[in-house]
Amino acid sequence: MKSLNLKILLGAVELGLIFGVMALGVYLTFRILDFPDLTVDGSLTIGAATAAVLIIQGYSPWLGLALAFLAGGVAGMITGVLHTHFRIIPILAGILTMTGLYSVNLRIMGRANLPLLGTDTVVDSLRSLGIPAQYGWVVFGLLLAGAVIIFLYWLFQTELGLALRATGDNEVMIKSLGVNVNGMKILGLSLGNALVALAGGAVAQLQGFADISMGIGMIIAGLAAVIIGEMLIGTRTLLRALIAVLCGSLVYRIIIAVVLRLGLQTTDLKLVTAVLVVLALTLPRFGFKKQLLALGGWSRASVEKGN
Amino acid sequence: MLQLKKATKVFNRDSVNEKRALHQLDLQLAAGDFVTIIGSKGAGKSTLLNAIAGLWFLDEGKIYLDGTDITNMPDYKRAGLIGRVFQDPMVGTAASMTIEENLALAAKRGHSRGLKKGINKSLRSRIKEELSRLGLGLEDRLSTPVGLLSGGQRQALTLLMATFQQPRLLLLDEHTAALDPKTGEKVLSLTEELVAESGLTTLMVTHNIVDSLKVGNRTIMMHEGQIVLDIKGKEREEMTPQDVLRLFERNSGKQLANDRMLLVKNRKSNGA
Ligand SMILES: Nc1ncnc2c1ncn2[C@@H]1O[C@H](COP(=O)(O)OP(=O)(O)OP(=O)(O)O)[C@@H](O)[C@H]1O
Ligand SMILES: [Mg+2]
Repeated sequence: MKSLNLKILLGAVELGLIFGVMALGVYLTFRILDFPDLTVDGSLTIGAATAAVLIIQGYSPWLGLALAFLAGGVAGMITGVLHTHFRIIPILAGILTMTGLYSVNLRIMGRANLPLLGTDTVVDSLRSLGIPAQYGWVVFGLLLAGAVIIFLYWLFQTELGLALRATGDNEVMIKSLGVNVNGMKILGLSLGNALVALAGGAVAQLQGFADISMGIGMIIAGLAAVIIGEMLIGTRTLLRALIAVLCGSLVYRIIIAVVLRLGLQTTDLKLVTAVLVVLALTLPRFGFKKQLLALGGWSRASVEKGN
Repeated sequence: MLQLKKATKVFNRDSVNEKRALHQLDLQLAAGDFVTIIGSKGAGKSTLLNAIAGLWFLDEGKIYLDGTDITNMPDYKRAGLIGRVFQDPMVGTAASMTIEENLALAAKRGHSRGLKKGINKSLRSRIKEELSRLGLGLEDRLSTPVGLLSGGQRQALTLLMATFQQPRLLLLDEHTAALDPKTGEKVLSLTEELVAESGLTTLMVTHNIVDSLKVGNRTIMMHEGQIVLDIKGKEREEMTPQDVLRLFERNSGKQLANDRMLLVKNRKSNGA
């Protein structure tokens, strides 16, 4: 077996950090709000499309990120309104928005794939600070994901944030305490999808293109990160739960890098991800620690054989 | 204070399951009234409280609170004026959030919630102070998730939350029914204490006739969406649980044969 070289590992960490922001958005809707939101596949793409178009037209890549964030916020808001005001069940509300976004995203991009050749990225402005190019995206990813974690940690402890968390925990109770739960759901979905689109805007710059199909399956990738993180690190405190999501995203991307290295095709990744989520969901039920040790032993053995 | 005029609610209108849960019900409460509500299963007791809280809107009739017409006010707006405790101890608290976070949520009832810190020093010290009154040691477990507490502890906490930000009206729906008798008794005496302290206007549904006469200053009995008995003062003091049963049969033309209506002897004389 070919070993994981530094470059591949670095690439996985870059993706893990940037997609970690997406996973934090998924965590917000799925876990905090307890809303199975499938808007994600569309809002990641709308973020990438928005940023790519702006950058191609010569605007600052930072502005691209900011507007990607806003576009995702609007997408989440639509899902929220579909659910709260038109009384459509959460899953369907998300699917409807996601489906509609496919056309919207094509309109924004003008065609199915937009390459970003020779354009500036947010990381180029970091380079002037003296950060070596090789680590530019890792540093940017750390800063972005760190800022999002700090922001969410702060938000969750404000009056508004407490009400948001309570909305996902116990709707009857928080209603009886005078909170407009519809407003909270719209707010949470909006913020969650804004984070997803922010990640999309950064991913487009990192990968050098925006593609109409780049969002497909992203909801499951985000969930994989959330669940892997919860399984490995736990959710005992709020901060720990947030950091767990980011670590889950890193682990997920490294696993993906490893399986690619083992010879699977990129087209196999969706299956790998689905299997990962199933494993992460079911392992804890069968005494997870033991299973993990067994798995660890198994993979170590196979690595040794490979050597 | 609180006034209902010809309140009517029909569930599943024009279907085979049509149910007239409230029928032309009139009720007027004076400030500081502590009213206990009894009645057989399905009499409309919970429906009455839900109507006042605004879970849905009345089909007919009006509700006034402090002279304001709240008939068409959405529930989350009314909640600023109304504290509630439910029968199920799980319903009144957020399990994944800590004890102090739950109380901080209650501290903001009826106020807008912004980006200020949810719990500051002065709020925390007030939370501790209020919790210590429960005598459950919860003041030393501020950051324990509420999900780890027992039903009785959660219900005591819910009661504290409902009164933390003094409500104009307190609605209690069989809030001791799901607890074991001893815990239920404790929560009931805590209820009396909190209500007396702030002179809260209170509606308390109970299925215990003895409690209904012992607690509060007025008792109403419901049957088929209407009030069939309304007693207070001397008349109420002289009333025995047996009298109540007899009156119910006369007013409703039915037997109050119901396993949920407990005719427990006065516990104090029981325990001695
Ligand atoms: N949301 C609802 N939808 C349909 N029917 C309802 C609804 N809420 C209450 N009902 C019906 O209205 C009637 C009154 O119910 P309610 O819950 O007020 O009774 P209750 O006096 O509280 O009885 P219990 O002692 O069982 O709690 C019942 O027949 C009930 O089935
Ligand atoms: Mg009831």
